[in-house]
Amino acid sequence: MEGPIRRILLYMDGSEGSITAAQYAICLSRYYRAELTALYVVNTRALGDLLKARIFVKAEQEEYLRDLEEDSQRYLNHVRSLARKKGLVVQTASASGTVHQEIKNCVLANKIDLLVMGELSSVRSRRDELYDEADRALRTVPCSVLVVKDEERVAALYDALV
Amino acid sequence: MALVDLITPEVVKVPLAGKTKNEVIRELVQVLLDAGRITELESVYDALLTREALGSTGLEQGVAVPHAKTRAVRQLTAAIGIAPQGVDFQSADGELSKLFFLLLAPPDQSGPHIQALAEIARLAKSPTFLRLLAGASSGREVAELIREG
Repeated sequence: MEGPIRRILLYMDGSEGSITAAQYAICLSRYYRAELTALYVVNTRALGDLLKARIFVKAEQEEYLRDLEEDSQRYLNHVRSLARKKGLVVQTASASGTVHQEIKNCVLANKIDLLVMGELSSVRSRRDELYDEADRALRTVPCSVLVVKDEERVAALYDALV
Repeated sequence: MALVDLITPEVVKVPLAGKTKNEVIRELVQVLLDAGRITELESVYDALLTREALGSTGLEQGVAVPHAKTRAVRQLTAAIGIAPQGVDFQSADGELSKLFFLLLAPPDQSGPHIQALAEIARLAKSPTFLRLLAGASSGREVAELIREG
């Protein structure tokens, strides 16, 4: 019988919480001998909306897109580095579009068993309930979702992993 | 970082005294300086004017969103001003601008910057919210509306 978790998707957004989630996903990947994929989504939907709203001009949209693409590579490189230190290989993927939709697409395309993500930001306004992309991903993906908390404990688990 | 975390009564000016685009921008930068959110004014003011030179951030329905990247801030920073009399901001619909959302971000925080601007864009689509905000008479009232909007 195969283990309960064979393919893990880590959603990275560059936040501190997502770094903690990366450490936990690496621990899980090792424990369950599961394949690990890290995904960063460049939110081109938001960039498009800002251009449409005339808050951005075209040149500005392009500049921010370059910034986000660089962020994507930087954060995914960081996950690769975290995994390498523990002797693991992580597949990385960068997508662009609407964040929660791209996460869902990746889950389906890679037959993911478990989505691992950082702690959700607290709901501070009514808008947060409607527009938080991580929250929407949690609600819409067809697989189980693990929201990682307790940064200190996770860091200790990661450090102890040999 | 959500807008609700950025807007406190100290970074709201009601009413704005400025009569021109540049005066309003400088006034809001001064608000941030007085609130201790920035430590110097001129480079921030210049960054905002440089961005405005690419194209006005005056939108429709009396809303303007002057914004810029600047090393003068270490984290996302915002201010709100209300000018009941309206100011010519060369807006998209030619109407006078009355509500000003000023946003500053460090150059290495494009992601949070975009999220905050997207949140403002969503707020700017709500005529009801804009009407309530335009009628606010204090920083506390504005901060409360941002939380409830």
